[in-house]
Amino acid sequence: MIGRIGASPQRVGGRGRVTGLQQYVADIQLTDVLHAKLVTLACARGRIVSIDTSAAERVPGVRLVMTAADLPQPVPRFGPQFRDRPVLAIGETKYHGEPVAAVAADTKDAAEEAARLVKVEYQELPAVFTIEAALDPAAPLVQDADLRPGDKLATTNVLREHRVGWGDVEGTLADLIVENTYEFPMVTHFAIEPHAFMAAPDGEGIAVWSSIQHPSWLQKILAGILGLPLAKVRVYAPDPGGAFGGKQHAKYEPLVALMALRAGRPVRLVLTLEETFQAVRRASARINVRTGFHADGSFAFQDIAADYLIGAYADIADRVVGKGSYPGCGPYRVPAARIIARSVLSHTTPSTAFRGFGAPQVNWAVESNIDAGALALGIDRLELRLRNLARQGEAFIPFDTPADGHWELTVRRAAELIGWGTPLPPGRGRGIGVGIKSGPTTGLSYATVRLLADGSVIVYAGTSDMGQGARTILAQIASDELGAPLDWVAVVMGDTAVVPYDQQTSASRSTVLMGNAVLNACRDIQSRLRAMAARLEGIDPAEIVVEHGVVRLPGREVPIVDVLKPGLGRLGGELIGNGEMRKEGDPGHPLGGSAAFFEFNCTAIEAEVDSQTGDIVLVRHVTVSDVGKALNPLQVRMQDEGAAVMGLGHTLMEHYIFDEAGRIRNLGAIDYRIPTSMDLPLELLSDMVENEDGPGPYGSKGMSEGALLCVSAAVAGAVREATGAVIRDLPLTPERIWRSLQERRDG
Amino acid sequence: MATVPIDLTVNGRGRSLQVAPHHTLLDVLRDDLALTGAKECCLVGECGACTVIVDGRTVDSCLMLAVEADGALVTTIEGLAAGGRLTPIQEAFLDEGGVQCGFCIPGQVISAHALLEANPHPTRAEIEEGMAGNLCRCGCYQQIIEAILATVEAAHP
Amino acid sequence: MQPFAYARPTTLAEAFSILQAYGRDARLLAGGTDLIIRLRDGTARPTIVVDVKRIPELRPAIRKEAGRLTISATTVMSEIASDERVRRHFVALAEAAAVVGAVQIRNRATLGGNICNASPAADTAPALLVYGADIVAVGSAGTRRIPITDFFVRSGQTTLQEGELVVAIELPLPSGPTGAVHLRRTRRRGHDLASVTLACLVDANGVTRLAFGSVGPRPVLSVDSSGVLADGAADDDAKAALLEEMFASASPSPGSMRASPEYRSAMLRLLGRRAVGTAVGRLAGG
Ligand SMILES: Cc1cc2nc3c(=O)[nH]c(=O)nc-3n(C[C@H](O)[C@H](O)[C@H](O)COP(=O)(O)OP(=O)(O)OC[C@H]3O[C@@H](n4cnc5c(N)ncnc54)[C@H](O)[C@@H]3O)c2cc1C
Ligand code: FES
Ligand code: FES
Repeated sequence: MIGRIGASPQRVGGRGRVTGLQQYVADIQLTDVLHAKLVTLACARGRIVSIDTSAAERVPGVRLVMTAADLPQPVPRFGPQFRDRPVLAIGETKYHGEPVAAVAADTKDAAEEAARLVKVEYQELPAVFTIEAALDPAAPLVQDADLRPGDKLATTNVLREHRVGWGDVEGTLADLIVENTYEFPMVTHFAIEPHAFMAAPDGEGIAVWSSIQHPSWLQKILAGILGLPLAKVRVYAPDPGGAFGGKQHAKYEPLVALMALRAGRPVRLVLTLEETFQAVRRASARINVRTGFHADGSFAFQDIAADYLIGAYADIADRVVGKGSYPGCGPYRVPAARIIARSVLSHTTPSTAFRGFGAPQVNWAVESNIDAGALALGIDRLELRLRNLARQGEAFIPFDTPADGHWELTVRRAAELIGWGTPLPPGRGRGIGVGIKSGPTTGLSYATVRLLADGSVIVYAGTSDMGQGARTILAQIASDELGAPLDWVAVVMGDTAVVPYDQQTSASRSTVLMGNAVLNACRDIQSRLRAMAARLEGIDPAEIVVEHGVVRLPGREVPIVDVLKPGLGRLGGELIGNGEMRKEGDPGHPLGGSAAFFEFNCTAIEAEVDSQTGDIVLVRHVTVSDVGKALNPLQVRMQDEGAAVMGLGHTLMEHYIFDEAGRIRNLGAIDYRIPTSMDLPLELLSDMVENEDGPGPYGSKGMSEGALLCVSAAVAGAVREATGAVIRDLPLTPERIWRSLQERRDG
Repeated sequence: MATVPIDLTVNGRGRSLQVAPHHTLLDVLRDDLALTGAKECCLVGECGACTVIVDGRTVDSCLMLAVEADGALVTTIEGLAAGGRLTPIQEAFLDEGGVQCGFCIPGQVISAHALLEANPHPTRAEIEEGMAGNLCRCGCYQQIIEAILATVEAAHP
Repeated sequence: MQPFAYARPTTLAEAFSILQAYGRDARLLAGGTDLIIRLRDGTARPTIVVDVKRIPELRPAIRKEAGRLTISATTVMSEIASDERVRRHFVALAEAAAVVGAVQIRNRATLGGNICNASPAADTAPALLVYGADIVAVGSAGTRRIPITDFFVRSGQTTLQEGELVVAIELPLPSGPTGAVHLRRTRRRGHDLASVTLACLVDANGVTRLAFGSVGPRPVLSVDSSGVLADGAADDDAKAALLEEMFASASPSPGSMRASPEYRSAMLRLLGRRAVGTAVGRLAGG
């Protein structure tokens, strides 16, 4: 089995996944473990009057009932952006599902029963669940103003306002101005693996298991809360069973760790799927877009005002709002732009990172508005996009990384695959969307690679492989560089006591940042090999090149092992390489740093609509991404097609439905619909553009979110062309389409 | 809580157990038999992560009481690759890229296996329908369908 | 799940005595695809669960006998959907059984459970209504046949008496050629509970039987004996008026998350028209 770059070997770690032997957090058995269960209220915002734990404590097998009063005082708060989330609700709950207490017992049954028996007397308080309600001047404040001292927004439910722009929007003349408001629903990650956490006292420290994307970040948060040195907090992060952003940051790890320390025994908490709906979601958004066009279809300006409804605690949501809205004008030449995005707090599940990181919301609005403009101007939608698209090297966002790809190739490829411009049967329509997302703005990854005496390799990387296939890519890099067959490469991840620091697994960064760190570690080994070969051959190292698994000596080429074995000598041993990859920030930049790369995608749809029912049949779904270089083409396809299907979820069927008390009515799998195998487009085609122009190893770029960004606008465009129905609210349910067609018939 | 004795065969091995009546087959497989291949997700029969084969048919083990399996022949994902050799369908999942995070995959593999046992020449539409009870949030559906088609193709070239 | 005891009677008599002893604290268990969800979410809290699957009279079986097809209560949807006799004589039932959940559900979900659960959205109910099924119920007092039109009361409630259980569902074999179909609306193509579920049967005499569920507290049967609906040549307006009358009793709940009442009403009418068209076509096609 060769792991050459550009090949598509079987996924590393795949065998355990098809045999059921892969262990996710909930599969790990710890002896003497206690099972935890959360206690919650039946409303969103409730003032806690009293908590009576006596009945719960009497349940046989119950070892611990923890309330805020049992925690260190003041109750620790944490969060990646603001320290606002308490370990357990203090005084009042802020959203439905926020725990007020937790029990731990010898068995799951006892924990469940005890949790039911914790009697909480509470008083339901007025709460806000929508943007309008939260922004009402008379609205109750979601967060106490003193959590954000000195912040003049602290007395409102606006957590922050992000403004970026350039040029003079007010002063720019346009031949046509199109203004519309679009809505994006609240949706949830629905990883098939519900979040799972365990903690156990570990010497003077603590060991924590979590299905987490950022083990190092979690380690830091826990060390802070527990007052422990980093070295005494060991985070095990078994590969998550799907994360999509929902497992980036600490959720219940601090609680479980404090419970384990108090009980002196391991504690585990596995959420139900319903509880995950109450733990993570994507921010809903209402976006007003005012686009100015010149008569020839070129943009005069974009004026975007986006309100994102985030939850009761910020988590990483405000960063999502700022970073997601930032490339809101798209990959186009826009002479004047104003983007104002606000993160609006509400008494709902804290929203967090979710594939696309705030970009799909604005993309939906802006791309749809571009279609509206094209229609009004009588210009073909593809043509209009191509006319405005930034060419490589163009500073389309004046103060950021210039366009880092020949993006028109991607757009043209998608158009070709969908048959843009060819005749359509009646009842059918086509749509096209272009999506862009800023890659990481800062980053720091370290990797260690060991070349063992027999030529096999161990890679140590702090990346989490949550399905994106990082193990395979990192193994392929090491295999290619060090000449070991792929099945001679082991990749060790997910243990902060063993693997070196990695900032995070997010923003499609790992191939680029960790990939480069691994590549650098391999290069470190290669330079040692060069010295070794020089010594063995008695020649100048400058005459030797080590690359792609071979040592090139003057006049001949030998496999690396042939140098390694004699070079290591009788005692054997190994070569150890270290690699680092840094992406420095820029304090003056609106996002704190320029984009390491842009993710660029074009999605095109052909759809057929039953005008009597509103049913959409996706006849063909094309998704094309600029990936720089596909290190593993099959994995690129898997990521893009997977992201496309996920995009169809929020486009066609997903949304939270609330009741008056702020409870999610469609909590769980019965009434929250996600796509099944029967909901695939009749044809799903993915393709990629490779110009080896990315900053990652071998010219690669980050990918895996792009194919989700512009699905909604492309589908809506196809529906519009098929039926005339213009829909600005997602999801595009048959009922919404039917309604819109009814109104057109009546009007 | 009074437990009930049951005898069943799991992956070819006879098992005699005492189970609580309110524990599901999934609970018992995972907690009592340490067979954690079948996964727990929705617990309402929607996602199929807990799929196992009982007496020749796939069921959501989260919706079956363990006591109901008394006398039954149960096959879980751990029972497929006998002797450590992957079955053709397992190989095909890997070759075609049908595995991302893998959490849904034990259920998917079991469903695919049972589908092919019941219908060795499924059409694409039959595969889509036959696999609809196994959600995959990573969105591997296309590759899973291709893996099943490839297995059919390889068995009957 | 909260604890409960479990019984697995092997005779009807044993079942009756358990039911008698526990009364309302006992719950019957067939495939469990409805009940176990309720046991887990706490909306059903029996002290004993009585598994009916090992009672010989309820054992899965589909029998053709004197003028009828008898489907025993614990026959699962997969069996019903693939049974040749059901497909030949009761195609709407086969189609309905084929869309109950996904394979894993259909391998467990029983016909008896589907109707005894009495969800307004139960997919087999409209088909059983158009085919004029009888529900065979037994209790310690003996056996009675309940016409399906008298069976459903409202969501979760049937006219079964305490201590009674359903042993079988009887379907009279049609005396002449028929055309029938089951149609429904769901939120996605993959398995889902219906926001409208409907069956239509037309016979050679021009009688059209339409039954529909998920648009009111219980599934309802409506019959057109005038022959107008089934008449290909009849005036469209006349048909529309007739359908309007037949659907008059539909009252979709405004509280549903699946679709609004207006949409459900409109889809009911649309599915009705389409179903009549298909059924008439099938009748003509033999
Ligand atoms: C994921 C999923 C998808 C589903 N999709 C559909 C769908 O598309 N369409 C649909 O119609 N349904 C659907 N259902 C509901 C369910 O599967 C069906 O209603 C099924 O037929 C119930 O049968 P069961 O044998 O599982 O019933 P059980 O759960 O065993 O019993 C249901 C009720 O009937 C009573 N009961 C059972 N048998 C008898 C008897 N012989 N005599 C008296 N009372 C009895 C029980 O006490 C209980 O109250 C779905 C369920 C799930 C979990
Ligand atoms: S866990 Fe059983 S079907 Fe989802
Ligand atoms: S592979 Fe991740 S859910 Fe299917």
